[in-house]
Amino acid sequence: MATRKEIRVDIGKCTGCRHCETACSLKHSEEGMVNPKLSRIRVFTDFEREMAHPIISGPYTDAKCTSRYNIIMDGKEYESCLLCRASCPTRPFFTEPDTEIPLKCDLCGEPPDPNCVKVCVHGALQLVEVEEDDAESA
Amino acid sequence: MNGWMGKILRVDLEEKKHEIEDLDEDIARDYLGGRGLATKYLYDEIDPEIDAFDPDNKMIVATGCLTGTGAIAACRTVFAAKSPLGTVGCSNVGASFGSDLKYAGFDMIIFEGKAEEPIYIMIEDDKIQYLPAADLWGKDCYETDDILRERLGDPWKAKEYSIACIGPAGEKGSNIAAIIIDKHNAAARCGIGAVMGSKNIKALMVKGTKGIKLADPEGFVTAMTDVLEHVKQSHGSMESFPQYGSAGILHIYNEVGMLATNNYQTGVFEHAADIGGEAMASKHLRKIRACFSCPQSCGGIMKATDEKFMVTSERPEFETVWVFGADCGNNNTSAILKAHDLCNQYGMDIISVGNTIAMCMEMFEKGYLTEKEVGFPLKFGDPDAMVKLVELTCKREGFGDEVANGGFALSHKFNHPELFVGVKKLEAPAYDPRVCQGQGLNQATAARGACHNKGYTMGSEIFGLPSLGGKTDPYATEGKAQLTKSLQDATCVFDNTGTCLFLILGLWAPELHKQLVPATGIDYTFEEMMKCGERTWTIERMFNIKAGLTSKDDNLSPRMLNEPMPEGPSKGHVNRLQEMLPEYYTLRGWDEEGKPTDEKLSELGMEW
Repeated sequence: MATRKEIRVDIGKCTGCRHCETACSLKHSEEGMVNPKLSRIRVFTDFEREMAHPIISGPYTDAKCTSRYNIIMDGKEYESCLLCRASCPTRPFFTEPDTEIPLKCDLCGEPPDPNCVKVCVHGALQLVEVEEDDAESA
Repeated sequence: MNGWMGKILRVDLEEKKHEIEDLDEDIARDYLGGRGLATKYLYDEIDPEIDAFDPDNKMIVATGCLTGTGAIAACRTVFAAKSPLGTVGCSNVGASFGSDLKYAGFDMIIFEGKAEEPIYIMIEDDKIQYLPAADLWGKDCYETDDILRERLGDPWKAKEYSIACIGPAGEKGSNIAAIIIDKHNAAARCGIGAVMGSKNIKALMVKGTKGIKLADPEGFVTAMTDVLEHVKQSHGSMESFPQYGSAGILHIYNEVGMLATNNYQTGVFEHAADIGGEAMASKHLRKIRACFSCPQSCGGIMKATDEKFMVTSERPEFETVWVFGADCGNNNTSAILKAHDLCNQYGMDIISVGNTIAMCMEMFEKGYLTEKEVGFPLKFGDPDAMVKLVELTCKREGFGDEVANGGFALSHKFNHPELFVGVKKLEAPAYDPRVCQGQGLNQATAARGACHNKGYTMGSEIFGLPSLGGKTDPYATEGKAQLTKSLQDATCVFDNTGTCLFLILGLWAPELHKQLVPATGIDYTFEEMMKCGERTWTIERMFNIKAGLTSKDDNLSPRMLNEPMPEGPSKGHVNRLQEMLPEYYTLRGWDEEGKPTDEKLSELGMEW
């Protein structure tokens, strides 16, 4: 069975320090710039729900969702947007501030060696090996 | 410039105008940033004798040269001004305000003059707006933060801003008013919130989209990850602090008998185990939280359990747990959380509020304050009375109006200055200097007054950290002048680079140097970097001398010098400051009056 590497996010372990944002942006900057707004991972904190959650950039869309829903987990209610990876008009992240070019996570190249994982000392981000599912490999 | 943004935002509050000017590269190189940079600009630009609330006083917000770069725990911002206590006031805070200020393009903001009406200032890169805040005046820090974020009209957009604001305490000129960042962090000491209030600034909002350029990105990442590996070896940084917060070390101080209790009447608190970091975590901790780019994560969210003091608050740090715990003789942890939260909500310096209330408790018990004056009985160990007085202090109501002036003023007004424990009018922290002799010397000589965070000698005197040269005997005065000086200078480097001093258990000056060089591209030797620290200490001294302070102000409260510790492992000890002070002056290159000599200034490339 073929395998691939991916980042596993354990939001319970995220402290909201955003060190991953600095490490990601520096890795992807040709000019040696640290800029969280250019990071492919962003961390959002929501103290009322006692959570900090890293989001790794996903697909770009120029349209808002026509339907939204809320999710209840462990008795707490979350908007679907909170857990979504997309860059969209509702949540305009993961685009370059000047050019609006979408920013995509590339796992820092091949073989994957993501910088964000390297600085995440509390294990919220881990690089794991998973089995490639058939549909995806086909 | 690399590491630095190279720009200063200079704001004329009266005209609501600003100019963007270049950061002086020579000053940046000599002072690194943060505390040193802000103090140097203050020294050059204001008359140190000025009254803190004079519009000609300036308030400077400065970041460190590593703040926001991703260097380990480099998240700090300082707020500096001539302090209402008469010293050079410099207050240091974490969270992400400083990082966001740098991403907006600025190393520093200099606020000049005074706005005619209350305003708040929104900084979005180069776009600076001066917006009316009359409707926010009187609102607490939580309401202010919520309203400002709601005004952005989009909760996602609102997440992109850091907010620094004052509460009613700062508006009403309390000597112990703080500036609160994002509801959770405080630039608290020296009454800096009152200076902000005197300038009619209710809040600062900042969002930035620019990057910080590093000189040698690859070298920086290598250095930063090396330092991170180093920090990971530290049990204190990776286990104790995240799990138990900074209060996780509280029991250690009780065990050596230096946990100031009942207004420093003793160094032993019988209920220490009930209030320490472990107890707080097991009873109240809901979530661990970190400041920007910090692995140590000593913040968090806590929920009270006692219905009388029901609140969800930021995890209190060591000083908070101590001051509303041991120092007020209180073992109700929910009451600690409640008092803590009130101070954040109204924008107060927790150490100063708690220390002053503890002093009032002693005055009450000794009959120097009456129930008629206070309004209710005020005894040690009474959580209801403590929380009530905190609330009154926050609102400047009833007897709280007196407490809001700070411990020094109150002790004089009620004719018992001998009961005030502090230095240079600033209320003292938890560490009883009758035990750690070096700590006494540090608190006596620190420019802003009684502050443990200007030279954490306990790192050697109690913890014996190898990075600080190993263990020294806390009761010995020999060698403490040198220890204190080197720690103070190194601490300046922490504050100037924007690194959190709490990382002391996990990293020290060599680790800062490792990251500093590739970030800035300046080939500092380790000694040159440390000189930047010494220069900072010296400029603070020069400011204070011009402000009218003398060597007489390098002193401790009479209790620390004359009343032997009554019980516990440190029974019988006092602080022997005079055994250390002359040697300290000599090592600093100061004359007998505590003034830097011409030789020293010339060595540091400084002048009056």
